[in-house]
Amino acid sequence: MTDLLFSCLLKDSPMCPITVNGVEHQVPARLSVAAALLYLGNLAIRKHPVSSEARAPFCYMGVCFECLVIIDGQHKQRACLREVMPHMCIETAMVGVNP
Amino acid sequence: MSKVYDYLVIGAGPAGMAAAIEASNAGLCVLVLDQAENAGGQIYRNLGQVGIQQARVLGPDYLVGKPLLAEFMAANCDYQPMAQLWHIEAHEKGFLVVALVHGESITYVTSHLLLANGAMERPMAIPGWHKPGVMTAGAGQILLKTAALLPKQVVLAGSGPLLLLLAQQYRAAGVIITALLDTTPKSNYWYATPWLMAGLTTPKQLLKGLWLTLVQRIKTPYITGVSGIEVLGEECVTGVSYTVAGKVYDIDCNLIMLHQGLIPETQMGQLLGCTQVWSENQQCWQARVAVAGQTSVPGLQIAGDAGTIGGAYVAQFNGRLAGIVRANSGVATLSLQKRLLTLWLCLRVKQLHWARGLVDRLYRPADWLSEPSSDTIICRCEQVTAGAVTAIASRGCAGVNQLKAYTRAGMGACQGRQCGLNLAYLVAHAQQRPVSKVEPLTVRPPLSPINLGQLSRQTEL
Repeated sequence: MTDLLFSCLLKDSPMCPITVNGVEHQVPARLSVAAALLYLGNLAIRKHPVSSEARAPFCYMGVCFECLVIIDGQHKQRACLREVMPHMCIETAMVGVNP
Repeated sequence: MSKVYDYLVIGAGPAGMAAAIEASNAGLCVLVLDQAENAGGQIYRNLGQVGIQQARVLGPDYLVGKPLLAEFMAANCDYQPMAQLWHIEAHEKGFLVVALVHGESITYVTSHLLLANGAMERPMAIPGWHKPGVMTAGAGQILLKTAALLPKQVVLAGSGPLLLLLAQQYRAAGVIITALLDTTPKSNYWYATPWLMAGLTTPKQLLKGLWLTLVQRIKTPYITGVSGIEVLGEECVTGVSYTVAGKVYDIDCNLIMLHQGLIPETQMGQLLGCTQVWSENQQCWQARVAVAGQTSVPGLQIAGDAGTIGGAYVAQFNGRLAGIVRANSGVATLSLQKRLLTLWLCLRVKQLHWARGLVDRLYRPADWLSEPSSDTIICRCEQVTAGAVTAIASRGCAGVNQLKAYTRAGMGACQGRQCGLNLAYLVAHAQQRPVSKVEPLTVRPPLSPINLGQLSRQTEL
């Protein structure tokens, strides 16, 4: 359902391969990880550690800490502050371990 | 200990870039630390890389930053992007600034420090604002600037120039705006009237603002006098309800963007013990800052929106002024040309801050926003409701800092950035005292997450 929310203006920009929760995807290069997850249709990207409700990035500028993900094994990375790199491995916390 | 910088600038937005240019031109050894991948700050985010289609949508006020960005990239200063600052403290040589760069913690030493880390959006705590499908208007604009991501359909809610600008940009890009819910209280128009004089000193800005408002009112489903906004939906957003003149309305939607103006990011200044004052006009805590950025802490300057919300132009002037004053201890040593420039910058900064009063008064948040219903989540990180906070506060809790011990509000990952202001309002209401008398949350390091491995591998530069 969420892949209907946003669409990308960039039509022929170079693509970058990334892995999200073990599945490989192609996203436009130079996107932030948070934007890339939204581009792929993931609105909610973690379960709240206290309430277990689904949560999504809120500010996309590094102040809300709602976009914490695991990037290449590093926990608690703000997805909005990191650009995608080829073969970056991103784990969101919709299931399993919470970053 | 190796290198000691003459001037360390935090933030590469308009204020930080301008200060770094002036200071490095004067021969100082300058380092700029910025948390983004590219210079520009939020206002000129991604400006150096943006495509033609995005530029068309974002408009001329965004592209106007290009010369400044070019001047900064050519300046003879060190620039470290992607630096996540997590600690800052006074030191015998000046200040220690500690940041995570590519996963390694690096300590920088500087004799003088400029905080130009900008602003954040005022958290608009309404029922359901934590649900997926709610984000800030600033987030919408950042997604447009950095990723060219556009929603198909959106509800915009709140008050302030950024909301209107985003509506304009979204319309230009063909986004369907289901509704623009304007929460500006009608009484604000009356209270803002005396400020018209101030606004008239920047006639071009005033006309631009009037035009922007007028166009949105005609071209979008613009609803005024809105209160009691509530986000509907279980797991994700399915709609929004709001009240106009006592009647409740519902709209179906999957995406809502909120805005309620900007507030300075004060954490770093607070950590260094900078005197904070409550700004009645901007309804937020601010560092006490002189016109060229000087604060109560010797050697520490604050410029741009990190001090007082003023926008990109004033931030740039403010930054230049801060840089010149730092590079020349005392105006007496300046050339006549520089002296005149300094005088002109001082006057411009003062004038633009005064003119901003019109915007501040007109878009002051409605009272109902500071008294959210008891089931509204106030602290998003620790999932604390307004009801829980009010209950503790009315039993005589000393202030927001003691609230932490009882409720954990303000102790999550964002460290009170999203709840601090609203906690203060709740305590003020419960205890019937002015919010200016409620002390802000105490700030402690780390300012951003760091793990023990990174902490143990500290490197000094």
